[in-house]
Amino acid sequence: MDLSYEVKDSYAEIKAAGRLNMVSAPKLREFVADVVASGSSRIVVNLEDTAFMDSSGLGALIGCLKAARQAGGDLRIAAVQPQVKMVLELTSMDRVLTSYATADEAFGND
Amino acid sequence: MTAGSLRPNRLDTLRVRRDKSVKTVLNRGMPATPEPRRAVVIEDDPDIRGLLVRVLTKQGFEVTEAGAGFPGIEAVRNTRADLVTLDLNLPDLDGLEVCNRLREFSDAFIIMLTARVDELDKLTGLDNGADDYINKPFSPREFQSRINALFRRSRTPAADEAAQNDLRRAAEVQQSLLPREEVRLDGYEVAGVFRPSRSVGGDFYDWYQTPGGLHLTFADAMGKGMGAALIAATARAVMRSVRHDPDLGNAFNLASRSIASDLDISGSFVTLFHARLDAGSGKVSYVDAGHGLALHLQADGGAQRLPSSGPPVGAWGDADWTEADLALAPGDSLVVVSDGVLDVFGSVEEFTDAVRRSTHGQPTAREACAALLQLAPADTAEDDVTAVMVRRLAGAAGTAAP
Repeated sequence: MDLSYEVKDSYAEIKAAGRLNMVSAPKLREFVADVVASGSSRIVVNLEDTAFMDSSGLGALIGCLKAARQAGGDLRIAAVQPQVKMVLELTSMDRVLTSYATADEAFGND
Repeated sequence: MTAGSLRPNRLDTLRVRRDKSVKTVLNRGMPATPEPRRAVVIEDDPDIRGLLVRVLTKQGFEVTEAGAGFPGIEAVRNTRADLVTLDLNLPDLDGLEVCNRLREFSDAFIIMLTARVDELDKLTGLDNGADDYINKPFSPREFQSRINALFRRSRTPAADEAAQNDLRRAAEVQQSLLPREEVRLDGYEVAGVFRPSRSVGGDFYDWYQTPGGLHLTFADAMGKGMGAALIAATARAVMRSVRHDPDLGNAFNLASRSIASDLDISGSFVTLFHARLDAGSGKVSYVDAGHGLALHLQADGGAQRLPSSGPPVGAWGDADWTEADLALAPGDSLVVVSDGVLDVFGSVEEFTDAVRRSTHGQPTAREACAALLQLAPADTAEDDVTAVMVRRLAGAAGTAAP
């Protein structure tokens, strides 16, 4: 999984490309923790190029959301692909991990 | 325990021989005979492939060759290879992607081969799961010495054996936690199958008879391997501890609360489906915490998926799960499947349809479960695969309307 980030006006956008699974999940956790530690706690994870997520990947997103909230911010996801959407719906985690069509919209109203 | 400690390491993925078939009793006292080293060569150029095969065969490896990424991954899985040589430019999949996918189930040494020096520079700076890199063209002697160096760095045989014994024992314990006793419930049959993707897994199921019927628990802990297995065993014990609470919703919330904080600290969670069957009426009361893969299969071939009523246990604080119920008519079944089966399909609808078709008309619950396992063949399944079925026999004595 390739991870990159870019600080925008009101949030930091993290692009996660590849398969979000047991191998890459710890990398995402560390990556987001570093971004939060560097001062950005409003985070959008752009999942446009994440075609697959397993339970470990979901666990990583949840962990990252908790980290962002603990730092006083929030984590939102954008451009969610069908398989990832399916996992979120099955586990009812779509109620917690709010998804937006684009990264721009994620913090559009606040 | 931190989230990081759940990540796979070499000990997690040590290969323990296991049957690819459905297995409920573990073969005890397996001999620890040393096996020949196995290598898989993934390379699309037939000349280079031939050269690699020759060098490796000379070094005493049993070699399997593949001309592309997908067959290569399959070969590594089937042979449980110790060494993989991987060309970066393959016709079907990028070599780095192949490497990622191999790392999901294999701890084989991976040597990457590339013809471009600039690529080599880029690669060596990345942590992408490969153990070594070789630039093409290479001399067979250089290749040989790199392999020797990798295996010299490898763990000692004694540590290897101790770890294998630990894993073997863990697999035995996990198998022994599955329900063994025949269910003797007039008018019903119950069956389950469990195939971990490693020697132990995060899926589990449990059932036991009660004066009025049966309790059934199905869980899938986050991740795979030993960490997931520990969580699964804890969930089983906690769910059993509330069996005497007559109120299902209350029992479930009590049990989940008692493990939620531990799960939160370990950065993990477990999807949990728990059902109670009243055998006389066929009424099934259930709670589904983030699993979402339980189905009510009707005698006429229809199927209804039971959506989950809240997040997995430990995933999110302050969760409250609501109880729901369904009526099992004669000929109907309740089936719960793990997401290892779902992964094979593109959507929940396709999955539901496949479960319905593969189980319809199966003579017994056991055969229906075996058919469900076949939906995710062992050769390609990357996750644990588990299925449980409670079937109300057609024409059985009972009071429920057909």
